[in-house]
Amino acid sequence: MTDDAEGQVSADGRLSAVPGGDPEQRRDGDPLGDLLIRTGRGDQAAFEEVYDALAGAVHGLALRIVRDPQLAEDVAQEALVEVWRVAARFRPEQGSARSFVLTIAHRRAVDRVRSEQSHADRLLTHGPRHAVAAAEQADHPEQVVEAIDAQWRAARVRKGLAALTPLQREALELTYYKGYTNRQLAESLGIPLGTAKARIRDAMIRLRDTWEGTR
Amino acid sequence: MNDNIHSLIGAYAVDAVTPDERADFDAHLAACEDCATELVGLREAAATLGAAEATAPPAALRARVMDQVGRTAQLPPVAGDDARVTPRAEVTGASSPRERRGWPRLAVAAAVAAVLAVGGLAGSTLLGQRDSTSEDQRALEKDVMMVTSAPDAHAMDLGLGSAHLVMSDKMGSVVAMGEDCPEPEDGMEYQLWVVMEDGSKHAGPTFMPDPDGSFMTLMEMDMEGVAAFAVTEEPAGGSDQPTTDVVAEVGL
Repeated sequence: MTDDAEGQVSADGRLSAVPGGDPEQRRDGDPLGDLLIRTGRGDQAAFEEVYDALAGAVHGLALRIVRDPQLAEDVAQEALVEVWRVAARFRPEQGSARSFVLTIAHRRAVDRVRSEQSHADRLLTHGPRHAVAAAEQADHPEQVVEAIDAQWRAARVRKGLAALTPLQREALELTYYKGYTNRQLAESLGIPLGTAKARIRDAMIRLRDTWEGTR
Repeated sequence: MNDNIHSLIGAYAVDAVTPDERADFDAHLAACEDCATELVGLREAAATLGAAEATAPPAALRARVMDQVGRTAQLPPVAGDDARVTPRAEVTGASSPRERRGWPRLAVAAAVAAVLAVGGLAGSTLLGQRDSTSEDQRALEKDVMMVTSAPDAHAMDLGLGSAHLVMSDKMGSVVAMGEDCPEPEDGMEYQLWVVMEDGSKHAGPTFMPDPDGSFMTLMEMDMEGVAAFAVTEEPAGGSDQPTTDVVAEVGL
């Protein structure tokens, strides 16, 4: 990918754009990171503060992905207990506490939605979700974008998303929010696998770089 | 192949990978600094997307999470981190410092013999015990939860599998719990000891890990004058004083 070098350079710059992302800031001023480190040492009071800071995001993200409120609550509970369980593995130099926690939450939610889907045998054989998405993509791309926008509320997020192409937004909608694998994305959109992988990566790099600029 | 795996970084950052792809990329990540660096940024971007979804979580969720957390053992840090833990291997060697130090030969002062409260919880209530009723277990879990969720609860690695010790002055209790606990020798049980500042030791509950290595035990006590907690293997039923070497120890 051509922006490899740029990606690395901007990786450092961008780190400072993220709460707790800057190495200096992290050492001195990422309260969540400190709390997560203490959580890893068994400090339950610290974990409660981590919970209070991030449970809303964990639950909201789970709800966005799995849709069903009861399921979302289960996923959120699993993810948050998992945070407690693996907190000792948190490394501030590998990202912020928020990123650590939401990575766990997202993975849980996506795993759940995939197992639900595979139980129902929907995704690949009957595929109402990707069929709908593909149909919308073909006939009403604006509607897809609008629907996505309606749910992506935060101004900062909207700004990042506005910088994406409609195809990139769609790629993230199907993967990040619906749990498609890169292969499922390629198949549902009828694009080569390499294109699908590159589209996801380009979208994430664009988001990263846009958010870096907003600070 | 390397090019291929590298191109998976975006998909990996948003979990758009199969379990096999994830494992492959994890392996790649350990060896590829470029990808590791780039991933930090992509994950932060993904986290920003996720955080924008924040909602007020259901009120009951907090209590359920804290309850489960109170019963969930933590993974130890990856090797190389702070190790107050005394690994079993270290204390069994004949010339290990721990063994040479041994137990101080101090008699138990009768006056402090009552550090262990005589409440229903003192002694060997334990989850792993095979004959304990489920009612006992539930009562124990509830008590353990209350200790571990006490505002002054303080946890430390115990060094027995992934076990840790949680103590609360407020609750006047100590909980030992964990997973991956090795089986004691045949005919032996683990026993928890309270080591006082004067070197005297007070017998705590005995416990046995489940077949899967998990255990949980609770002891009511006064924290005054306590210097350390230790674990030994003792003949079934426990001993009044330790008869074997310490297999795990936590200083306060």
